Amino acid sequence: MDETEARLRRCFSAVFPSLSATAMLGADATNTEEWDSVASVTLFATIEEEFGIQIDLQATDGLLSFAGLLDHLRARTAPRSG
Amino acid sequence: MKLIEALEILRKEPPEPSDAFRAFLASGFEPLHLQTFLTAQLRLAFPGRKTQILSGVYGDFWGNLDRLSALGADVGILFCEWSDLDPRLSLRSLGSWEPSTFPEVLSNVRARASHLVEVAEKLSRQTTVVISLPTLPLPPVSFTPGWHAGALDLELKAIASSAGAKLALLANVKVLNSERLDRASPPGARLDAKSELAFGFPYQLTHASVLAEMMSHLVSAPTPKKGLITDLDDTLWSGVLGEEGFDGVFWDLEHHSQSHGLYQRLLDALSETGVLLAAASKNDPQLVAKVLDRNDLILSRQAIFPVEAHWRPKSESVSRILKTWNIGADSVVFIDDSPMELAEVKATHPDIECILFPKDDPQALLELLHQLRDLFGKGVLSQEDGIRRESIRRFQENVREFEGRDGKLEDFLAQAKAELTLNFSKEPLDPRALELVNKTNQFNLNGRRYTESAWQSYVKQPDTFLLIAAYKDKYGPLGKIAVLAGQTRAKKILLDVWVMSCRAFSRRIEYQCVAELFKHFQVSHIAFNFQATTKNGPLREFLAQLLGMEPRAGCELSKDEFAAIQEKTFQGVVEVPNG
Repeated sequence: MDETEARLRRCFSAVFPSLSATAMLGADATNTEEWDSVASVTLFATIEEEFGIQIDLQATDGLLSFAGLLDHLRARTAPRSG
Repeated sequence: MKLIEALEILRKEPPEPSDAFRAFLASGFEPLHLQTFLTAQLRLAFPGRKTQILSGVYGDFWGNLDRLSALGADVGILFCEWSDLDPRLSLRSLGSWEPSTFPEVLSNVRARASHLVEVAEKLSRQTTVVISLPTLPLPPVSFTPGWHAGALDLELKAIASSAGAKLALLANVKVLNSERLDRASPPGARLDAKSELAFGFPYQLTHASVLAEMMSHLVSAPTPKKGLITDLDDTLWSGVLGEEGFDGVFWDLEHHSQSHGLYQRLLDALSETGVLLAAASKNDPQLVAKVLDRNDLILSRQAIFPVEAHWRPKSESVSRILKTWNIGADSVVFIDDSPMELAEVKATHPDIECILFPKDDPQALLELLHQLRDLFGKGVLSQEDGIRRESIRRFQENVREFEGRDGKLEDFLAQAKAELTLNFSKEPLDPRALELVNKTNQFNLNGRRYTESAWQSYVKQPDTFLLIAAYKDKYGPLGKIAVLAGQTRAKKILLDVWVMSCRAFSRRIEYQCVAELFKHFQVSHIAFNFQATTKNGPLREFLAQLLGMEPRAGCELSKDEFAAIQEKTFQGVVEVPNG
């Protein structure tokens, strides 16, 4: 587990406390009961604060799952080459 | 506090409580993360209690105040923003910003601010109300450039400020200090326009976090410290007395020692609010007395009692001062310019709060003055605050004088012409009762603290009695020093609350209180709702003496048992119907 994943796991644990470590990997807005619109807002705010980034709230389609968010964060926090 | 930390605090379930703390958050915006921060802060402020924050309907600040009124929460936490005073002052409204509308905006804001004061006054009769007045910057409604203050902006702020002043005068209403908020949350970094437009939540997370923390302080009202022990050389004054002589130490601008003058000025002001002051100094006592008698001393000489000046360790001085004051180390702050002296005192008195005096740093000194206001600050001043210092001094000096003549404490008490005034009235409810209950540690039956609304609810029960005892003797008054509350069941009293000020110790008042309970209610037994705390040793020892055994929850004392062991009491007793 890299640092980005560990930090994202912490965000998910805070917002979805009943989610197990295993279930977290496959969690998305359709299969997680507590994941409603308020949870989305809270999760995005937590991630923005944790990673010091801004999330475009008009383009969250790929961000409503743990895997999608992890990919998004890895892409944004990866060191740039060149 | 970060949002993730607040969420993690909320994740930890508190132990199942018997009394949940219920707050109602009234705002016109979606409370979202503010509610999360506030719940977390209140969870920290009331450990062991389940904290429940209810909120009202989005966009209906005024309706939410009605909902709060109907609900009866322990506290109402109000966040009033400009948008609640006029929707045109919100980013979510597209109302006119034309200059011709300004008079109407002002009129609207004035009327709503006035209504807020009326509603808060009504709410405060049933619950504690804490209010945050507009914290967000005004949108660019005014036609002036940003650096030019427009009349509209200034008038709007004057209206809010005037409403704040009226609210601050109301009993049971507390207003957030906007100046302190400005220091912790810069005004320019508070509004989150993206969140306001997307979710109706207008605060940046950092602002919401700071606001929640400060409102939580207003709600929980941390118990103020009671006493301050100060060093003298390079602390109360600039210079070392033994080297400079009594006229060679200073505290003014002329001698580049203004910081010490400001420190004295604050101590003097604290003393006027009932804070006990003492000095602990390694010094020649005669030289110290000479400086303290100087006419230019800013701090009143009478304010410092006792003065411990000698060459023994300061921890010994602190021990003697605590004994004289009869208060615990955790209620006291010790200030010295020497880290070594602070460490020596801390090693012996770990509960005392030790603070380094920043003798060469005016900015740090200013921070210290603010810190002391925070540690000793009170919402309101009571009559007892004004007489605390003198009553301790008089009692100690008179006892000492009596003992010097080989007299016994009993003989001293017998000639003191003491009078205990008992007031069993519940209407109007004396605010001193709750103050004493919530700040007394040592002589406290169970250490239970009450919110204003919980206290009102308890006392107003028809079968609850309340006894407030005031004491005076020929040396002067102590004021209201004891509170007892409970219920009568047939021939028994169930005593839930019994606190007594530490200033009233050693006068046998506690025996008199028990005697008066048996007499007034004509009961055969008193059951004590006792709970041991880390600090209520004096009450535990008293009960153990009465019962002949270690007290436990619900322990009982019969009238006959009490009569058999009753110590001689020394007070005449007057019962008043009210006052």
